[in-house]
Amino acid sequence: MIEFTLNGQTVRTDDDPSTPLLWVVRDTFKLKGSKFGCGAGLCGACTMHIDDAAMRTCLMPISAVAGRQVTTIEGLGTLDNMHPLQTAWVEASVPQCGYCQSGQIMAAAALLKSNPSPTEADVDAAMSGNICRCGCYGRIKGTILNVAQQSLAHNAAQEQKA
Amino acid sequence: MSAMNMSRRQFLKTTGILGGGLVIGFSITGCSSNELPIRLAPQGFVPNAFLQITPDNGIRFYCPRDEMGQGVTTGLGTLIGEELDVHPKNMEILFAGVHSDYKNPDFGVQGTGGSSSLKAHYLQLRQVGANTRGLLVAAAAQDLGVAASAITTHDGHIVVAGKRYPYGQFVQTAATLEAPTEAPLKSNAEFRYIGQAFARVDAAAKSTGTAEFGIDIDIPNMHHAVVRRSPVAGAKLKSVDKTAALSMPGVTDVIEISSGVAVVAEKYWQAKTAAAKLAPVWAEVALSQVNSSDIRADYHRAMQQDEGVVDTDEGDIEAGLATADHIVEAEYWAPFLAHAPLEPMNAVVRIENGEADVWSGTQGIVAAQGLVSRFSGIPLEKVRAHNTYLGGAFGRRGTLTHVIETTEVAVASNKPIHLLWSREDDIQNGVYRPASLMKIKAGVKNDGSITAWQAKRVGGNITPKTLQNMMPALFPGLNDGTIDFMVGLSRDVFAGWMVDHASVEGLYEDYDTDNKTVNHVTVEHDIPLTFWRSVGHSYTSFAKEGITDELAEKAGMDPVAFRLRNTQGNPRLNNVIRVAQQHMLAMQPAEGRFLGFAAHHSFATDVAEIAEVSVVGKTIRVHKVTCIVDCGIAVNPDIVRAQMEGSVMFGLTAALYGDLELAQGAFQQSNFHDYPILKMREAPQVEVIIIDSGTAPTGVGEPGLPPIAPAVASAVYQATGQRLRSLPLKIA
Repeated sequence: MIEFTLNGQTVRTDDDPSTPLLWVVRDTFKLKGSKFGCGAGLCGACTMHIDDAAMRTCLMPISAVAGRQVTTIEGLGTLDNMHPLQTAWVEASVPQCGYCQSGQIMAAAALLKSNPSPTEADVDAAMSGNICRCGCYGRIKGTILNVAQQSLAHNAAQEQKA
Repeated sequence: MSAMNMSRRQFLKTTGILGGGLVIGFSITGCSSNELPIRLAPQGFVPNAFLQITPDNGIRFYCPRDEMGQGVTTGLGTLIGEELDVHPKNMEILFAGVHSDYKNPDFGVQGTGGSSSLKAHYLQLRQVGANTRGLLVAAAAQDLGVAASAITTHDGHIVVAGKRYPYGQFVQTAATLEAPTEAPLKSNAEFRYIGQAFARVDAAAKSTGTAEFGIDIDIPNMHHAVVRRSPVAGAKLKSVDKTAALSMPGVTDVIEISSGVAVVAEKYWQAKTAAAKLAPVWAEVALSQVNSSDIRADYHRAMQQDEGVVDTDEGDIEAGLATADHIVEAEYWAPFLAHAPLEPMNAVVRIENGEADVWSGTQGIVAAQGLVSRFSGIPLEKVRAHNTYLGGAFGRRGTLTHVIETTEVAVASNKPIHLLWSREDDIQNGVYRPASLMKIKAGVKNDGSITAWQAKRVGGNITPKTLQNMMPALFPGLNDGTIDFMVGLSRDVFAGWMVDHASVEGLYEDYDTDNKTVNHVTVEHDIPLTFWRSVGHSYTSFAKEGITDELAEKAGMDPVAFRLRNTQGNPRLNNVIRVAQQHMLAMQPAEGRFLGFAAHHSFATDVAEIAEVSVVGKTIRVHKVTCIVDCGIAVNPDIVRAQMEGSVMFGLTAALYGDLELAQGAFQQSNFHDYPILKMREAPQVEVIIIDSGTAPTGVGEPGLPPIAPAVASAVYQATGQRLRSLPLKIA
C-alpha cells in the first residue's frame, strides 16, 4: 500500500509499487488529463508536479512518490477556475490537437514558479523536453513569456498599492 | 410538439424538407440506418442532422468532421453559425456519429482529410444554417404576430423592434412548419463570424485536461489489452508460449489475434508488463530479407532501366530539350516516414447483448463501425460508433487496424477492451509515407523560359494499401476474397497501366512549359503505405523546387524572379510568389544567415515560404520562416496561421531529422530518441501572411508543409554551396 497526496487529497493504492505514477493516476484514480506519449520520458505528455518540480511520470514508479505531493493538470486549474497560464492558453488559441498541452502547461507552471521572469532561453531550456507534434511552439513560448510579464506587472502594482 | 414524441413521419418530413436542396442530399428511405445518431434532449428540436435546439436555447452542432487539431469544430461551427446567426462559442459542438448525412461532400464517405473540410462543407453547412434560421424566423413571425420582414436575428436570438427573444422560444412552433430549402445566403460583406480571428472553441477543454481523447475512454469492467506484433509487416505468428504472461498479476487472457498475440489484464501496466514476458516466434515473409540498402538499389535500378507508366505527356520533350541553352538533371530522395501523432493508436470496444459500441479518435468513424461489425459479426446497425478528439492524426488515423485488434480481443475475451499501442508499436508497426526516388531533367533558355520538364518517380503507391485498409471497413459485407481481388487489381493497375496520382502529384504542375513528361515506376516491398500530411507533395515539392533553383542558376536569374517568370499560367501562385518577393526584398538577414525560397501549390492552395537559415559545422539552424498563403477566404485567420505554423514545424521535423531505416524487414527506429521531433529550442519563429481573398476557402491543413524542405535546402546551398538532394538534409 502506497500513500501520497494527489491534488491535495491523501490517496492510497495497492497497485504494484513499480507501476509508473502516470498509470496509477489514469487507471486507478481515473484522472485522464495527463497523457501517455512515449513511455520513455522523451515527450513530456505525462508531466506532473512532484512537490513543486515538473517530472515525467511515465517511468516514475509510485514507490518514488510515497508521502509526496503530486499535482496533475486537474489540480492546477479547472474550467471554472483556471490557472493564469490556462486562461492565457485559451486566449492565444495555443492548442491544436491538444494532446500534449496538459504536459506543456504543467512544465510551464513549474518554470514560472521557480523562475517568475524567465528569458526566452530559459523557456527554451525548460520546455524543450515537451514535444508538440502539431508544432505549437511559438504560441507556447509567447504565452509563457506574456503570462510572466503580466504577473510581474501585477505584482509590482500590488506592491505599489501596499 | 416535442421532439421526444415527434412522429417518425414528421421527423423525416422535417429533415427531408430541410435537406431537399441539392447540396445537402438527404436520403429519406425510411430504413433504420437513416435514424440520426442524436441523443434527444427534453423538448429538443432536431431540424436536420447537424443541429438540435432546446427550449432553453441550447444550440447543439453535430460536427460531421473529425477534430485532429486543425480546428474543424471551430471552422465548421463558424460556417453553420454564420448563416444561423449564432457565434460558434455559444454552441455546444458534438462529434457526429455515423449517418449518410455526415458524408464529406468531396469524398462521398464520412472521412476527414485531404485538407478538404472547409472547402467541402462551405456551401452545404451555410445553407443548412440559413434554412434553419429561415425556419426559426417563420416560427417567430407566427408566434409574435409580426411580419417575417420585421425580424432580424443576432447570436441565437430573434430581434423585433429592439427586443430579443431566444431561438429556443420558437422551436415548438418551428417543428410544425416547413423549412425553406434555399434560404438566401449572406454576401461576403455581411459576414459576422467568417473572417474573424476569434479563439478556438476547443481551447479551454484542451488547456484543462478535460478534452476527451480515445485513450481517455473508461467504461465499467473495461480491461486493457497490449498486443505483441511481428517487427516485419505482414509476418504471422508461428508460435508463442503463453504461460509466463498468464501467471502475471491482473492478467485474464492471452489471445492469438490476426496481427499477433494480445495480453488482457485489469490494468494497462499489468498488460504491458505481462506482454513483455512473451517471446513470440514469427513466420518469415519476403520482406524479412529486405534492408534499406536493397530498397535504394531497387529504386535506382528501376530509375535507370524501367520506363514505367506514362502519367503525363505534353508537347515534344526531345524537341524541348534540344532548344534549351542549359539542361539540368538530378535525382532526389525522400525516405519512409512514420506520422508519430502524440496520442498512440487506441480503441475501446464493448460487445453486449448482440450490440456493440466502439470509441476511437479516427479520420473516418464510419470505418470504425464497419470494422467492428465485420470482425464481431454484429450487424452494422447494431454498432454504435463514437468519435473522440484525435491526439494528432496527419493521415495516420485513416488506417484502423487497432480497431480490428480491439474487436478481435473483445470477442475472444468476452470483455469490454481498451487496447493501446506503445510508441514503439507506432513507429515500427504502422503505415508509412512512401520512400521516393525522383529524377527531373529540365531545359532552360537564357531568357529564363523552361523548354522541357521530364520527371520520373520510383516507389510504392498508397492507393492499393489504402483500399486494403478501407474496403473491409466501408463494405463490411464484402468477403475477404473479393477484397483481395480488388486490392490486387488496383496494385496491378497502378504498377502497369496507370499512375496512382498521389505518387506523382506536385512533381510537375506548377511551372510553365510546353513540353512535359511524367513517368512512374512502381517498386513495392510490402511495406504498408498511406497518406502522410500533404501526401505526394511532401516529397515531390523537394525535387520540383530543387531543380527549379538549379534552372534559375543556369539561366543566371534570381530564383524568385525565375519562378515569377514561369508562373504566368498560374496566376494565384504567381501572386503569392510576388507578395513573397516583396517581403523577401525587405529582409536583411544577419551575418551568417541566408534566405531560401520555395513555393508550391497543393490542395487548391498556394503557399510560398522564405526560410532564414544558418549553418554552423554540420548543424542546420532555421531561425525564421515567413509564409505567404492564398487559401481563399480565411474562415478563421488565426487557425489558418496556426496550421501554417504547424505545417512548417511538421515539415521541418521531416526535413532535418525524419528517417526510418529497415534491417531484415524491420524498422530500426523505435521512439523519440532515434526518431526525433523538432523541439522548442529548434523551432523557428513563423510569420504568416494571408492573402486577402473573397473566393471560397481552399485547403489549409497541409499546403504549408511542401515548401519548407526545399526552402531550407535553398538557403543551405547559399550558405555552403552544397546542393542537398536527399532528405533528411545532411551537410556533407
